Amino acid sequence: MTTLTPTPGGAAVRRPAPPSTTARIGTPRQGGTILAVPALVWYAVFMIGPVIAIFVIAVLHWPGMLQPVSFAGLGNVRTVLDDPVFWDAVRNTAVQLAVALPIMIVCAYMLGYYVAQKPPGHRVIRYLLFIPGLISTPAKAMVFYAALSPDGLANGALQSVGLGSLTDAWLASPSTALACLIALDVWSGIGFTAVLFAARLDSVPDDLGEAAQLDGAGHWRTMWRIHFPVIRDYVGVVTMLQFLWTLFGSAQHVLLLTQGGPGSSSTTLSFLVYQKAFIAADLGYSQTVGVILFLAGLVGLLTIRRAFRQNY
Amino acid sequence: MKLGKRWLPAHLLVWTYAVLLIVPLYYFLASAFKSNEEIFAHPFALPSSFGFGNFRTAYDSADLGTAVVNSALVTVLALALTLLLALPAAFALARSTSRLASAMEKIFSLGFLIPTFAALFPTFLLAAATGLFHTRLFMVFFLPATAMPLSVVILVQFMRTIPREMEEAARMDGASTYTVLRHIYIPMCLPGIATVLLLNFLTFWNEYLYSLIIIGPDPEQRTVQVALPTLKAITGTDYGVLTAGTVLTLVPVWVVYTVLQKRMQEALINGAVKA
Repeated sequence: MTTLTPTPGGAAVRRPAPPSTTARIGTPRQGGTILAVPALVWYAVFMIGPVIAIFVIAVLHWPGMLQPVSFAGLGNVRTVLDDPVFWDAVRNTAVQLAVALPIMIVCAYMLGYYVAQKPPGHRVIRYLLFIPGLISTPAKAMVFYAALSPDGLANGALQSVGLGSLTDAWLASPSTALACLIALDVWSGIGFTAVLFAARLDSVPDDLGEAAQLDGAGHWRTMWRIHFPVIRDYVGVVTMLQFLWTLFGSAQHVLLLTQGGPGSSSTTLSFLVYQKAFIAADLGYSQTVGVILFLAGLVGLLTIRRAFRQNY
Repeated sequence: MKLGKRWLPAHLLVWTYAVLLIVPLYYFLASAFKSNEEIFAHPFALPSSFGFGNFRTAYDSADLGTAVVNSALVTVLALALTLLLALPAAFALARSTSRLASAMEKIFSLGFLIPTFAALFPTFLLAAATGLFHTRLFMVFFLPATAMPLSVVILVQFMRTIPREMEEAARMDGASTYTVLRHIYIPMCLPGIATVLLLNFLTFWNEYLYSLIIIGPDPEQRTVQVALPTLKAITGTDYGVLTAGTVLTLVPVWVVYTVLQKRMQEALINGAVKA
């Protein structure tokens, strides 16, 4: 993903410097690549190793932490695919992505465009937009818990304006639990993403928009027809990030707010990985879903990358 | 560019969203000073008194004091270890033109594609195997590894902008590799180091799921993010205490953000974009 963004400073220009190579021939190579080895080893032990282990555990039959382990081959895959809960999780994750991603990206882009035009008060807006990015997951969950629990903020507000009949136990009702989780994603995602877009739009030359306006284009047209194509690949990168955060990060919100329930109405794939490993202790199952999640992530990334490929 | 009357809907929408961001936070801050009855009766009113009773209850019942110390300890040590590993690595990769070095750089940047979360269970096994399960120490070791891709990539980019001649001049004066790193590269890429520190501070301090599983529920060891949700169970539905506790955990991040606002935004933008 790094390759998609132009690096400031243009490292490639500086690299091939023939004079310095000739000057160095006599001297020994001083403190070369070896300095990178500790970081690489550290990274391999704590990150690459566990990731590979997911694939190994996925083919094991491992029904509990202290239970005997045996080779299961594709048995886990069959168990997972036969489980209706898994398909609920697939559906919930699909709904979550299909609703949250487009809303988030479109709103954030428009918001970012707005801020980049420097309207009155844009500094205050910029400061505020960042707030959800600073708040930890448990704190965000507490905010939503206080807002959505039966005697919380949302119901209180509804009651005080005389709409008491609309109150609900938002987090505990099968029809709204997933929607609450999506709302949390969107609420906290838009602001942060908008700041990213605003920063990128700031570096688009002003005369580009001005020229379009002289030609009679309104802001709407300038926003979507001029600026959007210019930062198209950047939008792609941000979409990929949000996709990954939503796909893999939802476990924490689910765990803190609904625990997947009621029933399996708000179980997402990433929560299923957690739940099967640490609550149900069905480790082979859990890691098989992990592998599926991993592949879904990969396919999603490639699809998004393709969709946002520069096409001019 | 002119912002005409037709921007009115845009202004309205944007400020509505801003209000949606502020209102819950205001509600939180105000509720932290109120009793339950006061919260339900007047959710949006200013608190009638500014006593710190709720904060004290939250602090005591969830052992937040120990938790803050633990969080600070884990965050600071992990940050130090991150720099200790990433600085020499970035230094080596930025200067070297060998094929091996560029392969290593690729491996680090591929790390962005690894969703850390998926490896939660294997990491748990690793913690158990090393005998560091249920300790803060494992998090100190583990967090820098997750920060390595971003830190190395950002630092390499900063270090590439340092002219080679500076090193060559120092070499003529007999400087060792260590001296070059210590006296030329580190001072010249302080903005890069600040970026890496800020970004990682935010992720380390806010880390939840791994801390929950690895460090576990022991009040002596757990971090604030793990301690915070326990308030919900301990206090039941005492919103005053719940919000007071949450506010306490936000304070450090809040202070850093307000002081270093500009830097922080730059850091996050750089970090996220390069990710």
